[in-house]
Amino acid sequence: MNAVSQAAVSRLAGKAESRAWPWRGLLLPLVLLAVWQAWGTAAGSVRTPMPTRVLMAAVDLVGSGDLPWGIAQSLGRVFLGFTVAALIAIPLGLAMGSSRAIERNVDPLVESFRPIAAIAILPLAILWLGTGTAAAVMIVAYAAFFPIAINTIAGTKRIDPTLLRAAATMGLGRLATLRTVVVPGALPAIGVGLRIGMGVAWTAIVAAELAVGAKAGGGGSGGIGQMMFVFYAYSIELNRIVVCMIAVGLVALALDRLLRAGMRGLMPWAAP
Amino acid sequence: MATPKTVTPGDPGRLVMALVYLRTMAVFIVVWAIIARWTANTALLPTPLAVIEAFIDLARDLELFQHAGISFGRMLLSVAIASALAIPLGLAMGLSRKLDAFVDPTIEVLRPISGIAWIPLALFIFGIGNALPVFIMTYTAFFPIVLGTVAGVRDVDRRLIDAARTMGVPRRTIVTRIVVPAALPSLLVALRLGVASSWTAVVAAELIGAPSGLGYAVEWYRELLMTPQVMAFIAMIGILGYACDRTVRTLAVRFTPWAVEMRPST
Amino acid sequence: MSAAGPSQGANSSPSGGSAAAQAASVGVHPAAKLRLEGVGKRFDVAGAAQTVAVADFTLDVAQGEFLVIVGPSGCGKTTILNVLAGLDRPSDGTVKIDGRPIHGPGPERGVMFQDYALFPWRTVWGNVEFGLRYGPAAKGLDSLARQQRVRSYIDLVGLAGSEGKYPHQLSGGMRQRVALARLIANEPDVLLLDEPLAALDAQTRLILQDELLRIWGQDRPPVQRRTVVFITHAIDEAVFLADRVAVMTTHPGRLKALIDIDLPRPRNDATRALPKFQALSQHIWSLIRDEAYRATVT
Repeated sequence: MNAVSQAAVSRLAGKAESRAWPWRGLLLPLVLLAVWQAWGTAAGSVRTPMPTRVLMAAVDLVGSGDLPWGIAQSLGRVFLGFTVAALIAIPLGLAMGSSRAIERNVDPLVESFRPIAAIAILPLAILWLGTGTAAAVMIVAYAAFFPIAINTIAGTKRIDPTLLRAAATMGLGRLATLRTVVVPGALPAIGVGLRIGMGVAWTAIVAAELAVGAKAGGGGSGGIGQMMFVFYAYSIELNRIVVCMIAVGLVALALDRLLRAGMRGLMPWAAP
Repeated sequence: MATPKTVTPGDPGRLVMALVYLRTMAVFIVVWAIIARWTANTALLPTPLAVIEAFIDLARDLELFQHAGISFGRMLLSVAIASALAIPLGLAMGLSRKLDAFVDPTIEVLRPISGIAWIPLALFIFGIGNALPVFIMTYTAFFPIVLGTVAGVRDVDRRLIDAARTMGVPRRTIVTRIVVPAALPSLLVALRLGVASSWTAVVAAELIGAPSGLGYAVEWYRELLMTPQVMAFIAMIGILGYACDRTVRTLAVRFTPWAVEMRPST
Repeated sequence: MSAAGPSQGANSSPSGGSAAAQAASVGVHPAAKLRLEGVGKRFDVAGAAQTVAVADFTLDVAQGEFLVIVGPSGCGKTTILNVLAGLDRPSDGTVKIDGRPIHGPGPERGVMFQDYALFPWRTVWGNVEFGLRYGPAAKGLDSLARQQRVRSYIDLVGLAGSEGKYPHQLSGGMRQRVALARLIANEPDVLLLDEPLAALDAQTRLILQDELLRIWGQDRPPVQRRTVVFITHAIDEAVFLADRVAVMTTHPGRLKALIDIDLPRPRNDATRALPKFQALSQHIWSLIRDEAYRATVT
């Protein structure tokens, strides 16, 4: 239906659907890069970030191992926090989605904390756990918890009740039904929650490391967020900041693709 | 297993729900109070009472509302700017495959670079002040709004457009009188997401790069080890965030009563 | 009654009250309202080979005729309707109205879609007046004249009192009436209806079949009736409503037979009890049966 609507709307707009020229997408970015380069060369100073300098800085950072190491540190924390979040959120979500009683009692807590962003909890985390990995993992876990839990709940609730009744009429007990009907049925929604959670987790770690870097000074926790802050506040390497920004984006994309592929593998029956 | 919950207005269940809500929060507060008493360190974990007192004090001398107002104002401004940019662009992209092919890759490349990642560079450009949070928040809100608008236009029911065509309605009128209203529900969902994203970004941006606002206040009081105040401001962040989301939802129900509202997935 | 091959539209038995049959008995239709000649439609399915939806379809529809197209699911009935509406271009052949080729949609060929396609953000009144307000008719109508027209058509379909309601507040039967009112408010020459009663329960269906015939004008003389092309897969509905029934086969969609329905007008509940009604229905079913069976196993 979506593809049909697209066709209808574009037919409406009078533009022919052309498969011509896939390079169209590159035009705007290239123009922007060229303008940026030109502006930097003409109006900028030694420090001004420019595409060429960014490239050189990238080579530097990757070659010296600083960038990969920073990414690895950040990723490590993300995976830890994400796993903690998933281990709590998925069972809780399944329980809340299956039992109205549980949901009614637990939901007020979830809904009250949901509007409070993970980064707002950071000062508390630092207070309790210091400026190291433990606080970072806590923030990431808190951030990832909500999308995973909420999507798991929604996915569990959305399971066609006739499927559950069918299982009951075939003599399955509660646990078996959970295993064979509920979990596979909720899996697509859980997948969506995991993907969103991963995205949020990655943003949260960058934010946390930035904030910690800003407050705790140059030394400390490491990770890509902190690297970025150091480049801003201490060595004033703007090109390196841009390299880190691009790295943040690339890692985000990679994580998303990975998760999508993983979910596809787990759910061969789902339409792509 | 549970069947889908349906609550109709006027349902006596509403009262029961409110009571259950209170009961859960009461349990939470009691557990909190017990742990707080056991650790007996106000800087580490203040008692619920201490936090409430701090909240009332801050409210009384208006400091709470000053910071809240500043953060809220920034969010309003950011969402307004983001919408002013994103909605027309999204409409145009949704209607023109050509334009979409040109612009969408750039958007998709920039989107994974979260607003947060822009903070160091933006700090250099804007310095600490009002502009930084607004820039970060505008950037953050832009993407969900533009992408949601494009999707909303794309998902317009083909039949509605065909119906208008068979009535001899000219193309321009179809865009203004059919596509835009039909896309409105999706647009409002996109707006909700934009508001939520930018409210998340406000805290990060203010914590690092602003001299005022709720994020700034949280960090300020943390440095002073005045944890009850820290928690009071965190609570305010939650309350305002919830209120904003509620408002957009109410607007959506008011202006698009025919659309089925679904809970967000974040 | 008789059946005809794909390229002939004629039949030889006399009939009463049907403009189409009177014209058809002459054999040639130089003044046919709608003419499909050798129409074929192919679709490109992504990746795979082309699908032939319709092939070599030739049919004339006379002015004021109520023509029903019937056939198993997926036989291309909707494609034919889309071609008549101008929403799709035929891959082969021509389609004409009053001798002029059809290039696109237009208000002289009003369409009623399967799911009514009502504008959910507009009230009943807002829907019915839409074509009059924004279509070509708007130029000739001032606000008062438009209001009078909308009023009269809302009353005609029996929706007086519901003008301010929104589609999501209406039952299926009411939505169908709104769609119908919106359609005929533009006073089209030709009405193209794509399974308009499919989404209704059986009882509402019967009521609305009567309403449809009334609004079409079965109580009025044939010259005052509009031309209707109606699609359905329900045979009894086809026999009840039609002057002629076009039976289509599937894969690809072709015209298998043209059956003249010489049941007397006006038609009502008593019509369904007539032996001829049963005989016609059986005959049509026998033409489709094999295809319908195959559709359930492939």
